[in-house]
Amino acid sequence: MPIFGEASEAEVTRAILAGFTKDLGEYASTEVIIVGGGPSGLTAARELALNGVRNVVIERNNYIGGGFWIGGYLMNTVTLRSPAQKYLDEIGCPYKKYSENLYVTPGPHACSKLIAAAMDAGAKIQNMTSFEDIVLREKNRVAGVVINWTPVQALPHEITCVDPIALECELVIDATGHDAYVIQALEKRGLAKRIGEGGMWIEKSEDAVVEHTGIAYPGVVVAGMSVCSTYGLPRMGPTFGAMLLSGKRAAEVALKELGRTPKKKR
Amino acid sequence: MAGWRKPARDLGSRASADWDVPSSTVLYRDPSSTTLDLDKVSEYLVETLGLKCEVRQNFLSLYAERDREALARAIAATRVRNILRPFEQIEPIYGEVQFELRLLEEPTKRVPGVLYDGYRYLRVMRDLLPRAERSLRVLHIAFEHRILGTFDDDGRYHARAVVCGYPSVVSTSGIVEAPAKPAAYYRVKAQLALALGAVPFDAVKEPFKGQFIDYDDPRLTEVARGYALQAAIYHITKEAFCGDSACRLFNGHWQAEMITAQLESGGLCPRHERVAAEISGLARRERAAKKH
Repeated sequence: MPIFGEASEAEVTRAILAGFTKDLGEYASTEVIIVGGGPSGLTAARELALNGVRNVVIERNNYIGGGFWIGGYLMNTVTLRSPAQKYLDEIGCPYKKYSENLYVTPGPHACSKLIAAAMDAGAKIQNMTSFEDIVLREKNRVAGVVINWTPVQALPHEITCVDPIALECELVIDATGHDAYVIQALEKRGLAKRIGEGGMWIEKSEDAVVEHTGIAYPGVVVAGMSVCSTYGLPRMGPTFGAMLLSGKRAAEVALKELGRTPKKKR
Repeated sequence: MAGWRKPARDLGSRASADWDVPSSTVLYRDPSSTTLDLDKVSEYLVETLGLKCEVRQNFLSLYAERDREALARAIAATRVRNILRPFEQIEPIYGEVQFELRLLEEPTKRVPGVLYDGYRYLRVMRDLLPRAERSLRVLHIAFEHRILGTFDDDGRYHARAVVCGYPSVVSTSGIVEAPAKPAAYYRVKAQLALALGAVPFDAVKEPFKGQFIDYDDPRLTEVARGYALQAAIYHITKEAFCGDSACRLFNGHWQAEMITAQLESGGLCPRHERVAAEISGLARRERAAKKH
């Protein structure tokens, strides 16, 4: 007696195709597109989904989670300063107190919990997909993103002349990390500019990142490390509290922008 | 400027004739600071310089009721983009203006991490002053959470605890961030940052407790008294700081120097005691003359 039930190769192919096509069809036009599946992008995705906002995370890598898998110097303990540990409580991730106001958690545990929490809430994730450009509408408002398969970018243009596709949305969240790719795309058109990251010099850098999270351009919210390079804020080192809280703030700003009332605290 | 001594000057009537002793002094609260008692700072200025003092609410909340967005834009335009280069005038981006708007709407919020060009920031404030009080007859000292810096001869910006001008600003965050903490603090911080991937600030601070002024430090009011005095004496005499490290007008570049000048010594050098007494006398005589 075999362990698994029968399914033909063709049926497996059709199942993959059907699932993927259904998802892509749904988020070809969605409310929010989050570019970048690191901690801030995933937190924003979860918060939006919990508030009933349709959203999709575009991630260029196969793996989701960005730098959240590891802490500093390739060591996989990640650190968070209070009150960010409260978010770990929300997603059911264990952690330990290291010192007053500083908490540690294993990166793989925290990262996988965050991915699961975002998807459990209803966020969609499109990985191996690179952001190529923005879609502009009246008054140059950003109204979507242009995407392509990540492997296409890695091959010579002569071999892979693959046109990208576009997804429409009401709001884009740039959670692409230090590169701030969405803002860069606006910058190339002379519509926005990045200040670039400042030096790592004071204790309160994380506060500054959270407080600067918000609309950076009509139709674009910046979150996470994109905030640093957009506004020239001091880098903060590999501590992730600001990433989670910035993602949360980005979702709050997006809800306001979409004219939605946040649901009561769960 | 640590260790720098300005030569003592004769404080005869010729010097004081050029002074601008204000007929009134206004101090502006910093609502983001939980430990700053501005009434005590005011009392100190009355005692030390005989000035007539008034404490008002937060400067920007008081004078920026109209067109907040324009003010937010003007403040954002004073941001220092590169601390290693002289100030570059750049049109602020949308999000920077929104950030300043949020800060204007919530004056209790304190968000260090951004450095503003001190003198350009003062210019923005000066434009907000009521016309009737925009003269050297009125001394304005605003307490602020924003960190202001000035570009120095060494080719970089330095954060400041106080920026003297018109008005003058004492930065409550600058008092924490501008004077350097003990050198060992930075070594421990760097080692822990490398080992942990993050800086456990509270753990790093523990061995150095008391050796520097921290956010919401109970000693803040006492330190702020000294900086308010620096701003007042600058306004009156146009002399910046004192070279005597035991004088409250000494502008320490290290927290240890600041603590020595403001807390341990807590007094003025003999020369500045005479200056203070003279200012006090002038202020008293002026008030008496006004009465008659």
